[in-house]
Amino acid sequence: MRSESSVKSLAVPGIFADVQAFWAVVSREWVIFIRYPSWIIALFIWPVIFPMGYILTARALSGVDGSGLTTFQNTTGLNEYVGYIAVGTMIWMWQNIVLWAVGYSLRNEQLRGTLESNWLSPTWRFSYLLGSSIPQLVSMLMLMLVSGLEYAFLFRVHFSGSLWLTLLVILAAIPSVYGIGFAFASLVITLKEANAFVFLVRGIVMIFCGITYPLAILPAWMQSVAQWLPQTYIIHGVRTAALSTAGFSAIAFDLKMLVLFGIFWLAVGYFLFNMMERRARQTGAIGQY
Amino acid sequence: MTDFAIEARQLVKKFPARAGTGDKKAESGSSPTPKRRVWPFHKKEPKAMFTAVNGVDLQIERGEIFGLLGPNGAGKSTTIRMLCTLLEPTSGTAQVNGFDIVRQANDVRRSLGTVLAGERSIYWKLTGRENLEYFAALYHIPPAIATKRVDELIERMELKERANELVEKYSTGMRQRIAISKALLARPPILLLDEPTLGLDPQAARNLRELIAQLKQEGHTILLTTHYMEEADLLSDRIGIIDTGKVIALDTPEGLKRRIDQKEIIRLELTGWHDDLAGKLKSISGVENLTTRQQGEADLWEVNLQAQNSRAALPRIVEHISGNGTRLVNMNIVKPSLEDVFIHLTGKALRD
Repeated sequence: MRSESSVKSLAVPGIFADVQAFWAVVSREWVIFIRYPSWIIALFIWPVIFPMGYILTARALSGVDGSGLTTFQNTTGLNEYVGYIAVGTMIWMWQNIVLWAVGYSLRNEQLRGTLESNWLSPTWRFSYLLGSSIPQLVSMLMLMLVSGLEYAFLFRVHFSGSLWLTLLVILAAIPSVYGIGFAFASLVITLKEANAFVFLVRGIVMIFCGITYPLAILPAWMQSVAQWLPQTYIIHGVRTAALSTAGFSAIAFDLKMLVLFGIFWLAVGYFLFNMMERRARQTGAIGQY
Repeated sequence: MTDFAIEARQLVKKFPARAGTGDKKAESGSSPTPKRRVWPFHKKEPKAMFTAVNGVDLQIERGEIFGLLGPNGAGKSTTIRMLCTLLEPTSGTAQVNGFDIVRQANDVRRSLGTVLAGERSIYWKLTGRENLEYFAALYHIPPAIATKRVDELIERMELKERANELVEKYSTGMRQRIAISKALLARPPILLLDEPTLGLDPQAARNLRELIAQLKQEGHTILLTTHYMEEADLLSDRIGIIDTGKVIALDTPEGLKRRIDQKEIIRLELTGWHDDLAGKLKSISGVENLTTRQQGEADLWEVNLQAQNSRAALPRIVEHISGNGTRLVNMNIVKPSLEDVFIHLTGKALRD
């Protein structure tokens, strides 16, 4: 028989307690996020500055009077080249920010010294990764909304498509974008730093997924690689939904692929997290800076 | 099942060794930096291993304060990390509050309040109150109870006036009080306190020691690691001394001190210390366990020696330290302290 202690614990385990713990992680992350004022720059200024270089290059190549745009229109079926570039760069920024923010979320906790104190609690450990992604997702959706408004009012981009279909594509994209982030987070804890991998992944997305140009201009082998990257379908889906009036059928294939990629990447992310967690228990990696 | 608050049997923890740091006799018998693959057969040679904890046995009674002492790298932090489920043992078993640390890890975590890494274990961008509310949720305390418990702990730790300020504005002592409050939130039966007074000013450390004594009165079992011998002596019911991964002595503080009752401690203060002197002093018959410690930044050194018969040894000691720029400033013969016991057992000072 196990003898009982005279001290009675206040903990009441159960599903409600797990949900409460998950929500606490979300709230903590949000409060810390808004206490660093630099997020305002990220939200309002960066989305305008980043695509500007591409937009001005496109303007130079098409001629100041836009006479060279016919080729672009023939290849893409769209005439809104500023919106076309803005959507591509926005999706690239989304994945890039997720790699840094979600991918380094556990590592940042480790460097602060708080990862161990979280790990010592009886909370389901995946909650820390999942919970810290929610504020990141909310801030990213805000960034997309602000960017859309900035492009509509400052650059006169005409988003002729459907807001709801655009949101549907973004919703379908979330599992794969964040699944990659989860996989990265586990990799970063194991390797301690993965800057080179972030540069590699975002470089691949930039070149292969057509953030500023149609895939049709790529060699066949590069197009083959592109079809294995979820960002290809996100960019195509959001462009079609936001900039054209083609309707649901034009994005149905993108949605299907994004659901499949989402399942795959979430599974990979969860699997790698568990592997990292088990390895950390054996090697003590959680407490190593 | 066990009646002890904490019971460890033959706990062993080995880590893959970095080049040149493996055990002298690596299990494979290979060199410390083995070649991992031998082409073309992909034959994997076993890794050289470093043994951090080497067969630790512990039985900690419910309601006692148990001090675990050891120099850096002795294995005390690795032992604590295994007991609080951050690390899995390579072999051996341990139970905390009757729960197995590997198979029932979540029950173990629920039974423990832990202070590791002190002030770094809390969020500096949250207020003291927000930190406690956050950790209350992680420890599955229902919200209504959590609110009262957080208020109670803030009051107890005398942080009421500053509870709504960001932790980054707190002093080290205040942060440590939040870290300890975090450990107490769920009112766990067992507390693991790893160097809880490290970095605190003397007054804050004294307050914390009083708190630890109160927690024992309330029925908590406390496993304490500390570098401060006086603290371990003052607080602990029993002390385990750990060195090179093994518990080399385990007794009450008085019991440990009795082990070297027949020895005398010669404490010298001198200037102009040089390393050659250590060899000369150690060569004196009946003198052993020499330790030195520089006093601040000045050229003033405290030298401790253990001797069977200080009257016989003193003339020769004085003879050796005279000249060559060395000057004796002060000299005492003192009763053995716990630190002297530690030096006697391990041959080194706790801060080595």
